[in-house]
Amino acid sequence: MSMFRAKKLDLGSFVNVKVIRDHTKRKVFAENEPERQALRYIIRNLALPQRTRVQAQLQLAQMHCYTRPTQIRNRCIEGGKGRGVLRDFKMTRYNFRLNALAGKLPGVKKASW
Amino acid sequence: MAVPRSRILDLMKVQCRIFSHTFNPEGQRLGNKVLRQRLKGPALASYYPRKMGTYKDLQKAYPEWEVINEEEEHRREMLKIIKARGKGAPKKKRTAEESKKFKNKKRAAERAAGTAT
Repeated sequence: MSMFRAKKLDLGSFVNVKVIRDHTKRKVFAENEPERQALRYIIRNLALPQRTRVQAQLQLAQMHCYTRPTQIRNRCIEGGKGRGVLRDFKMTRYNFRLNALAGKLPGVKKASW
Repeated sequence: MAVPRSRILDLMKVQCRIFSHTFNPEGQRLGNKVLRQRLKGPALASYYPRKMGTYKDLQKAYPEWEVINEEEEHRREMLKIIKARGKGAPKKKRTAEESKKFKNKKRAAERAAGTAT
C-alpha cells in the first residue's frame, strides 16, 4: 500500500516492486508490533471479561494486513526472488552458488569427498 | 514428613516475588506468555541492506570537489549515441490529442487486419 511506502527509496540491495513491498511490510509490522502484542495478551487472558476479549479480537482482526507478520517473506537481496532463499545468506540457491564460488562469502568453501 | 499445601503455596509466593514471576497456583491462562515474548520487529525490519554512501551524498559533502560517477557518465554517453542515430525514446505526449493520434492508428491497423482475415 502506497500510504506506508517510504517517500524516498532507502534500499541498497536489488530493487523491484516485490522487494519494496516486502520491505514496507516489515517496517509497518515493526511499528505496530507492540499494539498487536497488547491485543494478543488481552485475547489470551481468560481472567478478563469476555466482552473485552471479543472486542480485542475484533480490533486485531481489523488491523491492516501490512501489520501482520505472516505477510513478510524473505526475499533474495541479489535478485528479489521469493523461492529457494537460503536464510543464512539471504540469497537464492543460485546466487549463493555464484557468490560462494567467487569467494565473496567468508567461510564458505566448496566441499568434495 | 508431609508438608502442608499452604506452606508450599507460601514458598511459591515468595519465590515468585523474588524472581518477579506471576503467582498463579491454579495454572490459569493469563496470557503472560505473550508478554514474555521478545519483539522481533527490529530484526525483521533490518533484513534488506539500506542505501548508504551514494555519489549524490559524496557530492553534497564536498561541493568544492567534482565527483565523477562513471556508470552515469557511460549511460549519458550511450544515450547521446542512440539519439544521434535517431533510435531514442519518443517524446512524452503532453496533450490528450497527441496521445490519441497513436491510439487511433493502432486501432485502424487492427480493424484492417480483422477485415482481411
